[in-house]
Amino acid sequence: MIKKAFANMSEYIPHERKLTIKVVYYGPALSGKTTNLMQLHTLLQPQRKGELMVLETRDDRTLFFDMLPIGLRSESGLELRLKLYTVPGQVQHDSTRKAVLARVDGVIFVADSQPAQQDNNANAFDNLADNLQKVGIDIENLPLVVQFNKRDAPGAVGEGELQSRWSDTPWSPLCMAAAINGEGVVESYRVLLERLYPVLDREFQLAEVEHISADAFVRQLSRVG
Amino acid sequence: MRNFDDDPALAELLAPERQQDLLRLLQGVTGHRFALSDQPQADAETVEFNLDGVAWLSCAADPQLQAPTARLIEFILTYVGKYRLAANLHHDIAEASFAELQRQHAALQDSEARYRQLSEQLQAQVAAQVKVIEQTQQELYESARLRAIGQLAAGVAHEINNPIGFISSNLRVAEDYVKEIKQGIAGDSAFNALIEDFQALLKESASGTQRIASIVSDLKTFSNIDQADFISCDLNDLLHTSCHLLQAEFSHMLDIELQLGNIGSISGYPAKLSQVFFNVLDNAAKAVEGKGRIRVISRQGAAGHPEVVIEDNGCGISTASLERIFDPFFTTRPVGSGTGLGLTVARETMMAHQGEISIRSREGIGTRVTLKFG
Repeated sequence: MIKKAFANMSEYIPHERKLTIKVVYYGPALSGKTTNLMQLHTLLQPQRKGELMVLETRDDRTLFFDMLPIGLRSESGLELRLKLYTVPGQVQHDSTRKAVLARVDGVIFVADSQPAQQDNNANAFDNLADNLQKVGIDIENLPLVVQFNKRDAPGAVGEGELQSRWSDTPWSPLCMAAAINGEGVVESYRVLLERLYPVLDREFQLAEVEHISADAFVRQLSRVG
Repeated sequence: MRNFDDDPALAELLAPERQQDLLRLLQGVTGHRFALSDQPQADAETVEFNLDGVAWLSCAADPQLQAPTARLIEFILTYVGKYRLAANLHHDIAEASFAELQRQHAALQDSEARYRQLSEQLQAQVAAQVKVIEQTQQELYESARLRAIGQLAAGVAHEINNPIGFISSNLRVAEDYVKEIKQGIAGDSAFNALIEDFQALLKESASGTQRIASIVSDLKTFSNIDQADFISCDLNDLLHTSCHLLQAEFSHMLDIELQLGNIGSISGYPAKLSQVFFNVLDNAAKAVEGKGRIRVISRQGAAGHPEVVIEDNGCGISTASLERIFDPFFTTRPVGSGTGLGLTVARETMMAHQGEISIRSREGIGTRVTLKFG
């Protein structure tokens, strides 16, 4: 087995023709990371979909992580594995977050739209940047999608305000979601796939060698119903 | 190193003994023997874990049973895998936390060492400052003491001057009277011897009085301490005075050779310059211990500036002592006999006169002190 010396996880095992990609749902406590994953598990109908693995919880809060594996076998015979993880959002589980974040290929940051949660969003985003740096990943070069969840919550901060607040960052425009109703979940996931593809293509020549176009990559991994 | 999220192999999920246990249980339920391999087998049913084939199950007796049994094993593996993943993650976190703790511990020790060093430096600085303060206090005390001695000397000199004046004038008159008495009793041989003896006594007393007057005059020069402004000083005069004082101190036993050239006068504090000369001469006198010779030279040095050289052929100064010779309170003499300030004061006085003092010495050969005035 050949291991890459990079900090990212995307790992290509030549003799198995297997490429594993790691995506992490990050964000403040109770922002709906696990809900995103549960909705994807329900909504997505990709070529192959594993069981949603929900690890130890306490009072319905994530203690370790959740994981949903998605699989795709290209016509060229490449086994593509997408592993979607969540991290525990509570402040005290920082070492767990750091361990799960190690060798990540893409992040969906799930923020809470409720006005009272804006400080928590900011702290969690700083924590993401810190931890990425600690595991040796440059946030500027990482495929990252910022999703503002709980749009259905009464008094949610207006989308215009959020969009303009983030307009100067590389992560604009933001994705809006109400994960509890399944809204915006697949869309956010698709935006991440779109940002992920060029990075993977540069490294593994997905288009040239494997004949997987950006469009096919996104479409096949996010096929619904 | 394996990561917690690496795809596990069959043996990592179920140890070989557990696999045997499982196969035995399956045989107990179905009555058929099963085989489990971690390598792909033809005609075997793939057992998946997180979309990956981890095992291949075969039942030669009843291949129909392979598929449902594989699903059953997958169901079991899901729960085994959950535990495995959680345990691996926990292990990773514990290791990372321990490494972080060790790093913090090292950082703490570093900072502790830094602070200890800092505190040592501070302590050294405080000690140095305390030393400076003590030195300054000693110098102040010394200069106050010298001033007190000077004032006392000036007072004593003034008080002695008056009686000495009338004693010496009375002695002169007495000599005249004796001369007349001698003439009056001419020829009386019995009194003649007495009178002559009397004349000799008076002469000796007059010379003694002269000496007292000369010491008093030296004292006045030496104690002229409160002179606030520079005045014109004749260095040769000051050297003469200092030599007289020194001789008085050493009971006129010193062999001092004066080679005083024509160096004119400079402007300065005569009392302080006298003190410099006296201090240097005093060192020379102690070095020769009554056996050697002291030479005092005054001359025009380079660029027409006056310089004074005081040299002796006494015991000399060791190289080690020479390095510290100007340090305040450095002395080689027994406790109580020297303050260690003589040359310190000399150097400071010379600096106040835009001059400098330099010392060359060899042990057993002698010492030469050169005082150059600017």
